[in-house]
Amino acid sequence: MVTKIIRCPTCKNDVTIQANPGEKTNITCPKCNTKGTFTFPETKPNIKTVDGSYSIEVNGLSKSFNGFKAVNNVSFSVKTGEIFGFLGPNGAGKTTTIKSILDLIHSNSGTIKIKGIDIHKNIKDAKKNIGYLPERVAFYDNLTALQNMYFFAEMKNAPKSECKKLIEDMGLGDVVNKRIGKFSKGMVQRLGMAQAMLGSPPILILDEPSSGLDPRGAVLIRDKIKELQKNGATIFLSSHILAEVQEICDRVAIINRGYLVAKDSVSNLRQKLNLKPKLTLELDNMTDKIKKAINDVEGIDNIQIINKIINIVCNPNAKSKVIVAIEKAGGNIINLHTSDPSLEQVFMRYTE
Amino acid sequence: MMFANIYAITKKEILDNIRNKWVIILTIIFTTLTLLASYAGSIMSSGWQDLSGTISSMIVLVQYLISIIALILGYSAIIGEIESGSMNSLLSLPTTRNEILLGKFFGLGTILSISILIGFGLAGIIIGLNVGSVNYGEYFFFIAASILMGLIFLSIGFSISTIFKKRSSAMGVAIFTWIFFAIIWIFIVTALVLATNPDLFNMDPSQSPDEFEMEIPEIIYTSDFFNPISAFSRLISLNVGTTDNTEYGNIDLEAPDYINSINMFITMCIWLFSFLLLAFWRFNKRDI
Repeated sequence: MVTKIIRCPTCKNDVTIQANPGEKTNITCPKCNTKGTFTFPETKPNIKTVDGSYSIEVNGLSKSFNGFKAVNNVSFSVKTGEIFGFLGPNGAGKTTTIKSILDLIHSNSGTIKIKGIDIHKNIKDAKKNIGYLPERVAFYDNLTALQNMYFFAEMKNAPKSECKKLIEDMGLGDVVNKRIGKFSKGMVQRLGMAQAMLGSPPILILDEPSSGLDPRGAVLIRDKIKELQKNGATIFLSSHILAEVQEICDRVAIINRGYLVAKDSVSNLRQKLNLKPKLTLELDNMTDKIKKAINDVEGIDNIQIINKIINIVCNPNAKSKVIVAIEKAGGNIINLHTSDPSLEQVFMRYTE
Repeated sequence: MMFANIYAITKKEILDNIRNKWVIILTIIFTTLTLLASYAGSIMSSGWQDLSGTISSMIVLVQYLISIIALILGYSAIIGEIESGSMNSLLSLPTTRNEILLGKFFGLGTILSISILIGFGLAGIIIGLNVGSVNYGEYFFFIAASILMGLIFLSIGFSISTIFKKRSSAMGVAIFTWIFFAIIWIFIVTALVLATNPDLFNMDPSQSPDEFEMEIPEIIYTSDFFNPISAFSRLISLNVGTTDNTEYGNIDLEAPDYINSINMFITMCIWLFSFLLLAFWRFNKRDI
């Protein structure tokens, strides 16, 4: 759901509207009643898959710790060029899966391929394709930010000239020569992101990238992720900030108690769960004719009318029909609000 | 095996330890203790001892000090990085666990070796300036053997670091390891000597050595192979000093043929490499 403020061309009043990217919305200015429409632009760039290939392929992954199955037969694939959200409650097996992809944890069974390279056969070549931001970022406290980056650049065989620019890009230009021991958590997190981007790896695995960041830092990281995708990178993102995931991810997978319970785009998951949008309308008058007109619209699940306010749960394509029906019945909409089921609702349903 | 990766990790480790003042602290400790041992170490004479005399005063100090310092450096090498979280980033890089472990061992080994070399070397030069004739060859041998013993305990520390899941557990085991080799071992050997030589119970402590005949029980010599500290001190006693005594009263002090410099050196190398291999094996198997 995207919010936008539109200035009325007649009375110059600001009108707040909400809809999903790509959706057309009818607008009525509450001040002068001027009517119009607005089509929200597609904010998500099209996924450019390279010959439809997969950057990460996990097949039948299982891992137990002292008899406890942390990950159980998990399989998914991440398309080249997409942002893939990996969600789950605490202790669901997210970090175990991520660590298995990086071979930090030795899985009990299953195969993992990075750009077609089996990590159990050639981990070194596989890791050449990966930039990783761990959940708990840590550097060497006695070294400066630049010295730390130089070390990682040397290990990744990346040009050292990149280091300073990446540090500056993450808003740490003033502290390049400051020791990491004196950094705040947010600063370490930003440097962790810079380290992950070092050498322009085609795949970025980001575990809670916004953790410990202030809102400005979180926005910076989010913008950087979008920019990386535009430049062709594949992003594997694990985050508890579901609004962030909903905004930037093309597809998501949900893991619960070690089992993968869902994987698809957010809108498809909504449809699978039959979660419907909610439409709230405020009219300047309410008549029986309007009530009948609304009741006659197909695709409505639930109607609640309190004085001049109408709450409707309906199919996505029924929203515009309701508005047209009200207007045809002589109703005058002075306020309109639509809310789609959030990823949070999807998440809650899948992890019950 | 990518030597560039090992080199990069070694370099980082050295830089990290230079900046946290480890090298300076260790160098000051080694220099000060050597000078103290030389100047005030002998109760028989006052003033500076020559380097051979200094080594005799230093040997116990070195056994205890270098072993504990090397264990302290080693026990946190791997588990410290795992607990801090930096191992996650390090292992995500295009490198292998063997390269990481080797790079860290070379880095910390260099820190330890440089500290011993500068600390003892500086003190050696000061002593040399104050004493007429000095045997620098013997002193250099002592420094080299001390470094080798340091590396052994560093490798023991590394293996402890890869086995235990908590830094605190690794620290406890490292301290116990030191207590075992430096203190408990003497009691174990004594108990074994008494157990295998019951006649020793009947000895009269007031007897002069001339009044009884005995041989040093062989277990005292063979036990040297099972403790790197003992192997180190045997290696030094075989090569430093000019004593020709093979008897003390009627006590035969001559060591068996197999107690020689080459065997002691090989023993110390076996200690070094076996614990390093254990560290490699454990680190490759463990989950991070």
